[in-house]
Amino acid sequence: MAKSDDYVHILQGLLVFGNVVIGMCGIALTAECIYFVSNPHGLYPLLKATENNDIYAAAWIGIFVGLALFALSILGIIGVIKASRTLLLVYIILMLITFAFEMASCITAATHRDSLTPSVFLKQMLERYQKSEPASNSDKELTKTWDELMLQNHCCGVLGPSDWQEYTSAFRLTHNDADYPWPRKCCVLDAQGLPVNLDGCKLGVPGYYNSNGCYGAISGPVNTHAWGVAWFGFAILCWTFCVLLGTMFYWSGIEY
Amino acid sequence: LPTPPARLPYVPHVPPMALLGKVTATTFALERPRCVFDGHADASDAVWLAVAFANASATFRNPRSRADVPPYKQLPTARSYMTLETAAAAYSCSAQSPPVLRVGSDTACRDQGRQDPCNGPLPSPGPYRVKFLLMGCRGPKAETRWSEPILLRRAVSPGTIDPAPTRRGSDVVVIASILASLGAVLATAVLGALGAKVWGSLCRQDLGTDAFTRRSYRTHHISPALPQPLPPGCRCSPPGLCRSSPQPPAPC
Repeated sequence: MAKSDDYVHILQGLLVFGNVVIGMCGIALTAECIYFVSNPHGLYPLLKATENNDIYAAAWIGIFVGLALFALSILGIIGVIKASRTLLLVYIILMLITFAFEMASCITAATHRDSLTPSVFLKQMLERYQKSEPASNSDKELTKTWDELMLQNHCCGVLGPSDWQEYTSAFRLTHNDADYPWPRKCCVLDAQGLPVNLDGCKLGVPGYYNSNGCYGAISGPVNTHAWGVAWFGFAILCWTFCVLLGTMFYWSGIEY
Repeated sequence: LPTPPARLPYVPHVPPMALLGKVTATTFALERPRCVFDGHADASDAVWLAVAFANASATFRNPRSRADVPPYKQLPTARSYMTLETAAAAYSCSAQSPPVLRVGSDTACRDQGRQDPCNGPLPSPGPYRVKFLLMGCRGPKAETRWSEPILLRRAVSPGTIDPAPTRRGSDVVVIASILASLGAVLATAVLGALGAKVWGSLCRQDLGTDAFTRRSYRTHHISPALPQPLPPGCRCSPPGLCRSSPQPPAPC
């Protein structure tokens, strides 16, 4: 009947549109995940040291899932237009596999974002920043990362300079408390990299030292990274779910 | 017999303003006394700071001369020492000097063990009590009162930090539950559709109740019927039709 033909054409149109959106979102996911993996804020050594860089694993999975989504969306469009049962069956099965991988990536990113509390970074900083011999390569990387972090963001410690006073640390073993209540990088530095007023910095006179903690500077990019992977992936999966249901409905109605 | 030193009512104290480093693990800061010694001090006098453990301040005896001043390195045994020898002019009303004194800031004299008055870092958290002593050529001339006990900071080990998150974020629960249910629905739908097709093809039943099912009917091409050739030998034809046959007529 002509009316049933119209329904079929509408369904085909919707499925093609759905697949186009999936393809574009796949490309966007790949681009976003490549950006995160390229470590734009230099925080990778900190996350690696927490032995918990599953957020990076989630981003790597996201890169490949995005490319797979793009390829599968093209396959889906061809299958819908040609009304081919085989192509659509292959499409559905491969899409299910991709769905499972992306699900894993989203949940991983969300779960491990939760585990990156200030205490994690505080403990790691106190135990490894400026650790003297024996210092592994990751300890030196961590020290370098913290120095750059404190320099660029004008911050000190995780919650503030009092981190160095409240807890003993590897730093304290090599730098005595009277001369270095907190690291020199916490002082306001001039153009040559020397403290503007060293006594003022040691006393904690406002204006001569950086009083805020670096946790904001760390958690901001990490949050963006994790939520970018988790929530965008979640949105893609919801859309893909609808398209897959429609495709299965269409597939079951195709003539032999 | 020398006259006992004048007791000034001033009480030394840690500066009230917000300075993050005013008390650390081995140092502390004091507000610089201003105008306290005017009227008692000559130009040649010196103001010392006496530091004693809080429970030893009552037994502290003022030194009779500069030679009797207890040095820094005797702090563990004598339970007190004197440091920060400064000219009295630095504490006068008109002096332009920083408003804060830092006790314990000189690490070099601790390491080199010099005999001069050493403002070395304090070896233990205390608590300590301090007082200012104005010393002249003939001995102490004036003293302030003892301060309140000053307790230094004690640092704990970072092993006490618990890195576990306090509570699981609600975002994770939302994402995980919704995704898991979507995945389950999809898997069920695929298995159901495949199963239905397999079942249908096994039982060879017509499942054409689906409104969407389209069975296209191949139109068979029915060719127009060709005239059947008569069997050889049958000449039973109505009169007038088989007129071209040369064979003799046979029974039908």
